[in-house]
Amino acid sequence: MSDGLQQVPQRNQVDAYRRHFMAAVTGAATLATLAPGVILREASAATRPDVTARPPEQPATSVVRWGMLIDTARLGDGGAAMVAACRREHGWGHDPRASPEQQPQWVRTVRVTDKLTQHSFTLPVMCQHCEHPPCVDVCPTGASMKRADGIVQVNKHICIGCRYCMMACPYKARSFVHEPLTDQRPHSPRGMGTVESCNLCVHRIDTGRIPACAEAAPQAVIFGDLNDPDSRISQAVQALGGTQIRADLDLNTGVRYLNI
Amino acid sequence: MMLKLFNPPVSGGRLLAALLLAGLLAACDAAVPQPELGVARAKADQCVEPTGDMRRNHMQYLLTHRDETVIEGIRTTQHSLVECVNCHVAPVRADGSAVHYPDKDHFCASCHTYAGVKIDCFQCHADRPQVMDNPDYPHPLSANRYHQLASGGGTTVSLSDMLAVSGMGSGSTAGEVRP
Ligand code: HEC
Ligand code: HEC
Ligand code: HEC
Repeated sequence: MSDGLQQVPQRNQVDAYRRHFMAAVTGAATLATLAPGVILREASAATRPDVTARPPEQPATSVVRWGMLIDTARLGDGGAAMVAACRREHGWGHDPRASPEQQPQWVRTVRVTDKLTQHSFTLPVMCQHCEHPPCVDVCPTGASMKRADGIVQVNKHICIGCRYCMMACPYKARSFVHEPLTDQRPHSPRGMGTVESCNLCVHRIDTGRIPACAEAAPQAVIFGDLNDPDSRISQAVQALGGTQIRADLDLNTGVRYLNI
Repeated sequence: MMLKLFNPPVSGGRLLAALLLAGLLAACDAAVPQPELGVARAKADQCVEPTGDMRRNHMQYLLTHRDETVIEGIRTTQHSLVECVNCHVAPVRADGSAVHYPDKDHFCASCHTYAGVKIDCFQCHADRPQVMDNPDYPHPLSANRYHQLASGGGTTVSLSDMLAVSGMGSGSTAGEVRP
């Protein structure tokens, strides 16, 4: 985040950034006259989809690496809609007996303010899907895992709830379920005694859909394959960069930000 | 069958023993609770594998498939736990009450209770199909709240939830909402 501050560009540069981002978002260069919300959906339907469904019997491969680029300047609400979409998709945040501090939190909005200049911005923070995830290094059972396509997730079937991974994660992205639950979302099993976190909506990706949060903020978020040079996200990060939070840790995160 | 006992055939003891055993087994059989298959039969003629095979080996299929799915990302539906529940379990009983795994009449519990099998799967996995696309968890139909409602407790349940209940109660699970 601090290196984001150093990069705060000049006003006209910001505009250039946004134009680039729009071009990347829509996959089209001729968009100046169109209303943003409208083109986004149409254009992305016309161009190649960001996620194509694998045949169900095929395993995920390292040919792809999933990533997400979030332009905080275009979010408008600092990511609140993304958080709401995630809660709805995975059913967290309403655990009946947990105190507010104990409620699981797969993604949260974080407000950052520069003490001197008072410049501030808000960004959604979730699992950053590191290439070298510290949570995987420390897990004693192998439950904290990185899938071939770069998705970092908990294999809850072998999670013993020790919570080492929660402590190892520099982004505070993981939560622990403290109590028995019923009526979970069928596609997102959650249960007492295990750690959980953003899994990039692995159930959606595997069936050719983008994560719920990306769907909720199409004007600001590009999801896709970082290994494919022709994907919208690759073109966007190539043109605009994409800040990693805590880049100093050299984790090579899959989630990148603009305008932080 | 019993009549024959008074008229033993020449081959004697062995057949008598067999007959006695058969009678005994038949008597035992009557006491074994049968899993409720009506819900699934309304949707399909047969299970995802031959019935006898499923009785003996469903756990193998499930355990293999779960690792393939979580670790490798294989998403075939044949041995998927979500699909077992979708096909075999109706979200509510005829009287509108929620069915959960700890209840003896849940499809998966029907044999397990009798055989003394303990599984933890439904601590995480939904034990019934999703009733509606309610954004809030737990939705008003979940066991705790529903029972509060039934006992006159203070939870308010919206009209649409009630409609979902009565719609579900009458017959099959056709109304289930799949994401
Ligand atoms: C599309 C619907 C469907 C799905 C999906 C399905 N089943 Fe079945 N299952 C059936 C039907 C129908 C029967 C009854 C077959 C018969 O009449 O012989 C059955 C029978 C069974 C039986 C035998 C019950 C008995 O003793 O007679 C078991 C055990 C079983 N299923 C378990 C499972 C499991 C575990 C899964 C998930 C891997 C599953 N089923 C998925 C439809 C389904
Ligand atoms: C601590 C929580 C937890 C427990 C307990 C648990 N699971 Fe899972 N299970 C999960 C999660 C999380 C997934 C991943 C869902 C996804 O990626 O779509 C999953 C996925 C699966 C899948 C693949 C998805 C599907 O529905 O086909 C199967 C099969 C499965 N589990 C079977 C089981 C069985 C059988 C048991 C009990 C022996 C069990 N699980 C216990 C959390 C749990
Ligand atoms: C026909 C009766 C029957 C039905 C119906 C049934 N089971 Fe079972 N199940 C058993 C028996 C018996 C065992 C124990 C087998 C053993 O220990 O050798 C078992 C064991 C299991 C195990 C392995 C437990 C362990 O610790 O090894 C799992 C997982 C399981 N069942 C899941 C399910 C699910 C999920 C359903 C519902 C879709 C279901 N079963 C429905 C009879 C049944």
